[in-house]
Amino acid sequence: QDIEFNNGKKYVLGDITVTGNTTFSPQTVVTYSGLRKGEEITIPGETISNALKKLWKSNLFSSIDIYLVKTEGDTAYLEIVLVDLPELNEVTIKGVKKSKTETLIKDNKLTKGVKVTQNLLATTQNYLTNKYRKEGFYNTKVTINTTEVVDSIQKSRVNMIINIDKENKVKVEKIAFNGNDKISDKKLRKAMKNTKQKNPIRLLKRSKYIKDDYKEDLVSIIDKYKENGYRDARIISDSIITNNDNTISININLEEGEKYTFGKITFVGNSVYTDQQLNSVLRIKEGETYNGVELKKRIADDSKPDADDLTNLYQNSGYLFSSINPVEVSADGNVIDMEIRISEGKPAYFNNVTVVGNDKTNDHVIYRELRTRPGQLYSKLDVIRTIRELGQLGFFDAQLLTPNFKNPNPNDGTLDMEYSVVERGASQIELQGGYGGGGFIGTLGLSFNNFAIKDIFKKEAYKPVPSGDGQSLALRLQASRFYQTYSFSFTEPWLGGKRPVQLSTSLSHTKQFLYNPITRDADKSKRFNITGISVGLAKRLSVPDDYFTLSQAVSFQHYNLKNYNTGLFTFGNGYSNNLSYTIGLSRNNTFTDPIYPMGGSNFSVSAKLSLPYSLLNSIDYKALNEERDALDPTDTDDFKRMGEIDQERYKWLEFYKVKFKADWYTRIVDKLVIKSGLEFGFLGAYNNDRGVIPFERFFVGGDGLGNYSLDGRESIALRGYPNQSLSSQDGGTIYNKFSLELRYPITLGQSAKIYALGFIEGGASFDNFRDYNPFTINRSAGLGLRIFMPAFGLLGIDFGHGFDALPGQTVKNGWETHFIIGQQF
Amino acid sequence: CSEYQKALKSEDIAVKFKLGTELYDAGKYGKANRLFAQIVPGYRGKPQAEKLMFMYSNSFYMMKDYYLAAYQFERFEDAYSNSEKAEEALFLSTKSYYNLSPVYSKEQKETKEAIEKLQLFINKYPESQYLAEANSMIKELDYKLEKKAFEIAKQYNKIANFESADYEASIKSFDLFLLEYPGTTFREEAMYYRLDSAYNLAVNSIKSKKEGRLNSAITYYKSFAKAYPNSKHKETADAMNAELTAQLSQLSI
Repeated sequence: QDIEFNNGKKYVLGDITVTGNTTFSPQTVVTYSGLRKGEEITIPGETISNALKKLWKSNLFSSIDIYLVKTEGDTAYLEIVLVDLPELNEVTIKGVKKSKTETLIKDNKLTKGVKVTQNLLATTQNYLTNKYRKEGFYNTKVTINTTEVVDSIQKSRVNMIINIDKENKVKVEKIAFNGNDKISDKKLRKAMKNTKQKNPIRLLKRSKYIKDDYKEDLVSIIDKYKENGYRDARIISDSIITNNDNTISININLEEGEKYTFGKITFVGNSVYTDQQLNSVLRIKEGETYNGVELKKRIADDSKPDADDLTNLYQNSGYLFSSINPVEVSADGNVIDMEIRISEGKPAYFNNVTVVGNDKTNDHVIYRELRTRPGQLYSKLDVIRTIRELGQLGFFDAQLLTPNFKNPNPNDGTLDMEYSVVERGASQIELQGGYGGGGFIGTLGLSFNNFAIKDIFKKEAYKPVPSGDGQSLALRLQASRFYQTYSFSFTEPWLGGKRPVQLSTSLSHTKQFLYNPITRDADKSKRFNITGISVGLAKRLSVPDDYFTLSQAVSFQHYNLKNYNTGLFTFGNGYSNNLSYTIGLSRNNTFTDPIYPMGGSNFSVSAKLSLPYSLLNSIDYKALNEERDALDPTDTDDFKRMGEIDQERYKWLEFYKVKFKADWYTRIVDKLVIKSGLEFGFLGAYNNDRGVIPFERFFVGGDGLGNYSLDGRESIALRGYPNQSLSSQDGGTIYNKFSLELRYPITLGQSAKIYALGFIEGGASFDNFRDYNPFTINRSAGLGLRIFMPAFGLLGIDFGHGFDALPGQTVKNGWETHFIIGQQF
Repeated sequence: CSEYQKALKSEDIAVKFKLGTELYDAGKYGKANRLFAQIVPGYRGKPQAEKLMFMYSNSFYMMKDYYLAAYQFERFEDAYSNSEKAEEALFLSTKSYYNLSPVYSKEQKETKEAIEKLQLFINKYPESQYLAEANSMIKELDYKLEKKAFEIAKQYNKIANFESADYEASIKSFDLFLLEYPGTTFREEAMYYRLDSAYNLAVNSIKSKKEGRLNSAITYYKSFAKAYPNSKHKETADAMNAELTAQLSQLSI
């Protein structure tokens, strides 16, 4: 029966019956279809087809038919015949490891009860085929079979069997080129970064064929030609031949075309910069081989935000709205004349500069660090630097800092800037108890890196501690049976809020008792106290550039001994004072993440000086020195006299100490970073008769973690050797260290930053300058891992292999394991 | 086992409701809240639900959990818009937003949200008994936003000794500030500090830019002196003006 569509007849809808193999109730089906009893419909007409569409859209049925059963007068009776789609019962995957099947099922959402549509079967098949092809199994075949489950449940259900036949990995036997005269096969093959010919020597990159990557490589081949002046080069055809031994061969036919050279390059539309200035950035001369890739890079290099290109030249001097287009104006005789059309636009000035996301840190702490200020000329460089420096504050997650350009207005030449920050926990709490050094050691450490001391008496500010002013405050208490240390430090980065002068103060007190072998406890009558205070100011400089910081500090330490006779001190009852002035200059432009810098360098040089007391007092140290040399330390009286002499020599410590340290961070590829470091330190005396003090010395070797220091010693890390093993008993007066460390991040997420590292380093310490030789070093190499979590700080482990023997030994030191807590190499 | 523990474990929602109401009336909002949380789904669609939901919402408010209080009160007002408590609920919801607003020197997302919600409340219940309080909250929140913008601009003036470009940033920020908040209570201070920045910029200027800067500083002085002839900063401002004029006349010689 052939009824014309527009000749449909009008009926009133009567009863609708639902039949077929379905578990849905007739009422549900009818409601869902949108058909209503008593409704006036046209048959044939849109209402019926809409009902069909709606039912199909439900994705529940494998077959849907609507029949006109009968008509009585103008009442039509319909019947909907449905077959439910089968539900998935069980999936079996053959051809891959059991452990893999679960992820495959998850990826394809093949959970029990899913309706098995044709679409599901097809997408699953495609997904699996592509997945294995991408891994190099070019011949992967996937077949899916479904079998009906027959059981007492009325629902139609199927089991799915997926057969994956990966076959062997396909390797590329040979890549052959036809039509290349100017560039050799070898160079072209090298240009293909992803698809490689079989080569037993090459270990890092396996030979495999992946279609998408291969397509990319074809573009690389053309780029290679473009870089060499063959602007017209094209691939005529390429074919893949399947060999019998699970390999394929690739044949590429190409046409090189003519070689082109740059002709005249003229700039049009430039008023801010002269042709000459632009040319010095473009660095392309008439007559050079035409290189389209390089040209594009010199105009806008997308790979680096701070590249030296024409776009950045404009972007860094306010021309946010500028655009630069190279146009070929003639190509006569293979010489291409270019016109670089520049539309400069108005220079853009910042209007509102705002910060969002700072729910902990106060505005003034952030705004003072911004390098883009209202009314200032826009500069891309300033924006990049602001992001870098906000990251270095350590209060925000460096990976999530974003500059948002708002309301750019080319007509007025204005824009708003919004920096979006995400706060991260900047406080660390350390509470530990442990057994060590012959007794229980308890440590309570609190360090708040974004403290607000002005809120310290405000009750409501304690959530959980007053924070937001960018100050740092640390408290540390450590106690065991034999010693107690208390320390407190406070830092305000902008003293008075007016200028970036950092004030830091610290106070510490240590009490140490000798071991009493009879009571097997601390002997409280034999003690050694150290009390120290230091105040420092660090000022950011603007000359020679504004990465420099000049710091100065005055510190005083008082050592007080009572019945404390050990090898270290010849005077058991006495004291010593250490008043010193430190001046340092440092430059740090590392970026962006202080935990994982990706570039820049950090160097510092410092000098720590005491007053030249021996010049001022009239003590004859030469005579004392001679007298001391003549004494016999085994003789009781002589030893006592030695103590008196030493007490005189060390009443006020007289010394100078010079240190130099430099680190460079270089990004190699992606996030792989190499850190190279150099360190040097020297401790000297103004008066050689008074001698180099036994305090403040360098101890090289090990993890470099500062243990409680009795005598102002400095631990210098050198992995692969036991702690402080490479210096003499009393410590070295001169040391140097070189290191290279390769780092690769595993994750730089918000909750944890993890990176792996490999290192080689070497260093040595010497007792006096005469022995100093920068090349006799103790070498080591090894591997390690660092984990940074905001609440715990930095944790790490290193395995180092020392290649040289420890002092007094003949065999190399071998493997050492170091645990690192809270300190960075 | 206390009565409360029993009620917590009980299956009977009526028991929980009864004890919850008693605790609520006795001011033990934390405990009441826990009981209510268990029975909210059970009472959905029942006549007691209205009373329950109000008490539930208010218990969050009383526990100072303002995020949830704001949300629950808003839901209550939405679901029982004819309730006699609807107006109060919406008001308490806005008040919760108000309480979430942080100190001016931190991000003001919540402040802006609170202003928006308060405005909606006033539009919906223009005759409300809470109107005066709502208005005063809006005023307070507006003041907060003004203070924030003012303090940022003022900081540029403060730190400008270190980098003189900051005087320009300060002038620009005050310009934008006065444009955005024309009726601000900080108007006098803002105009004074704008003058101060312009003055410092002008007198420390390089020669080529000096004349223009002196002139613009004098313009800022004039508008300040005109707007606030009795300002407490008048003396200093007058002294600045004298200096500026003197330097200007020196230039033209």
